[in-house]
Amino acid sequence: MVGNKESQTMVAEKGKQPIGGARKELRDAFADALLHLGELYPQVLFLDADLHTSTKAVVFKERYPNRFYQFGIAEQNLFGAAAGLAWEGFIPFPSTFASFVARRALDQIAISIAYPALNVKIPGSYAGVPTSRAGASHNCIEDLAVMRSLPNVKVADPGSYRDLFTLMEEAVKTPGPVYFRVARYAVPEFLPPEYHFTWGKGIRLREGEDVTLLGTGIMSWFCVLAATELEKGGVQAEVIHMPSIKPLDKDLVLESVRKTGCAVTAENASIVGGFGAAVLEALSESWPVPLERVGVPDTFVESGGTNELFQRCGMRPEDIVQRAIALVHRVKGKKR
Amino acid sequence: MKPLSKEIVSYLEDQAFEIRRLSVEMIAYGQWGHIGGSFSMAEILAVLYFHHMTIDPRNPKAENRDRLVLSKAHGSPALYAALALRGFYPVEQIYQYCEPEGLEGHTNPHGAPGVETAGGPLGMGLSVAVGMALGLRRKENPRSRVFCILGDGELNEGNVWEAAMSASHYRLDNLIAVVDYNKVQAKGFVWEEMGIEPVAEKWKSFGWKVIETDGHDVEALAETFYRARWIEPSGSPICVIAHTVKGMGVERAEFNYKWHTHAPDPKTADEMIRELAKRYGKPEIGYSRVNEPVKKETFYGGE
Repeated sequence: MVGNKESQTMVAEKGKQPIGGARKELRDAFADALLHLGELYPQVLFLDADLHTSTKAVVFKERYPNRFYQFGIAEQNLFGAAAGLAWEGFIPFPSTFASFVARRALDQIAISIAYPALNVKIPGSYAGVPTSRAGASHNCIEDLAVMRSLPNVKVADPGSYRDLFTLMEEAVKTPGPVYFRVARYAVPEFLPPEYHFTWGKGIRLREGEDVTLLGTGIMSWFCVLAATELEKGGVQAEVIHMPSIKPLDKDLVLESVRKTGCAVTAENASIVGGFGAAVLEALSESWPVPLERVGVPDTFVESGGTNELFQRCGMRPEDIVQRAIALVHRVKGKKR
Repeated sequence: MKPLSKEIVSYLEDQAFEIRRLSVEMIAYGQWGHIGGSFSMAEILAVLYFHHMTIDPRNPKAENRDRLVLSKAHGSPALYAALALRGFYPVEQIYQYCEPEGLEGHTNPHGAPGVETAGGPLGMGLSVAVGMALGLRRKENPRSRVFCILGDGELNEGNVWEAAMSASHYRLDNLIAVVDYNKVQAKGFVWEEMGIEPVAEKWKSFGWKVIETDGHDVEALAETFYRARWIEPSGSPICVIAHTVKGMGVERAEFNYKWHTHAPDPKTADEMIRELAKRYGKPEIGYSRVNEPVKKETFYGGE
């Protein structure tokens, strides 16, 4: 079963997705998928900018030393060389931190890769807030806005191990440039076993009538946690996970908000131009509803512990709960 | 290398003349483009496309072809002209320069067979060439070479030196950079805007072999490329520094930054082509569309 929305929804509901369970690091999914793809596709190459132990791609280097290229601390050249290898028929994964993808090498990505729609798969590691106290230089909050504005580029923010693994399988099968995030974070598997990432498809994790929680990346896990809390207060939240940000599953968003009448988006990125903005664009053009955006407010994210930063940015599950209750109250006059 | 016969020299000079003439035709008709940087590399392209490189216009993507990345992608008129003259597409197509669905202002492979990469922002092409050279090595293709033509002002860009560093790190002796050292960048002389000397020493210190040559002498260029392909390769990439004159061929454009980006009106285009013909000993010829109306930029509203 690949990308069948209806049956995925059904299974997710029937199984009453377990809350908790063993947390799995998304970087491990990245490393495992690289090895898997390396075995399947001899044309897959890994290009590094002196970060392969941080990104956990070191396993690829050890398994396939001849398909691993070190480019040093030179991201502009990293992406240019990826373009050249793609012109020669290879499938390069030029890899660095998300902040250096979206800030340092944007011109190279736009003109050398995106414009001719080359088959380059770009992971943005350490995306968003969790970067181990590195501070504003490394907390990449603008990549979703920046990358989704590039024509020809598909953009995804996977939320769990299964999500990222299957996304990478899909990315290699998809011709053209792909940008996907790899958060330095661990979440329990919240997607059903038969789930497989599909471009332009979201998955309904929970049915509800009062408010739609639209999550992307690891924030979908926070939405799941928030929905459980909301239920205790009598608010039935529908939870939808949308790893595919471009293209966006507009149909699923519309279907849900037509029922609930309001929505909260949650993203591990700036609310300016990112996932929430993409949802707003889609809704404004067809079925506007009151909507709250949870994510990094319009500010740089400085050093701190991850939980502390989530708190500072108002991105914790309890923040989603509060925003959702206030929204429902405002829209429907419901009391807590 | 055997010296070129008189016939071949004359043939290559004819091609360089035609590259210049068609560049003027295209820039004047399209009302946009870069004359100075197109003229300065006319002989370089003539020797590469009509003598040195292995290419097949009937099979532009042939695996065993040589690749050429035009990093100074604003020199697109000269490249489009060379490819048209070489038979990659009809010469008539150059009049679609800068038109929707036509030949893109800065290079873009869509609709232009023979153009290898997209470019425009300076400093990027050598990185793409590095990737191609690595790719050729992966595919165990020892015969093909990757050429990358850079501008001199372009060497201001840090990306160039990142690429240069990686090319020697990976010992890419199948990569030949050609610096069109025409001494003038967009807004003035290179030494005034941002000096690049000692430029040969810079490339050498980055681990490249350097060959300096007269970039307007087809015999010297042919000899240089022969050496770069067959004699010099021994684990280092090769940089050809071609000493050229910006705007070479038309007096008013020579060493004149004002003709870096500037489209001539039909009368000026006509004068330029007549001057070129005179200088290169060709029968008298002028701008072919001298009597056609000039494309005007239009704005909404107002007068």
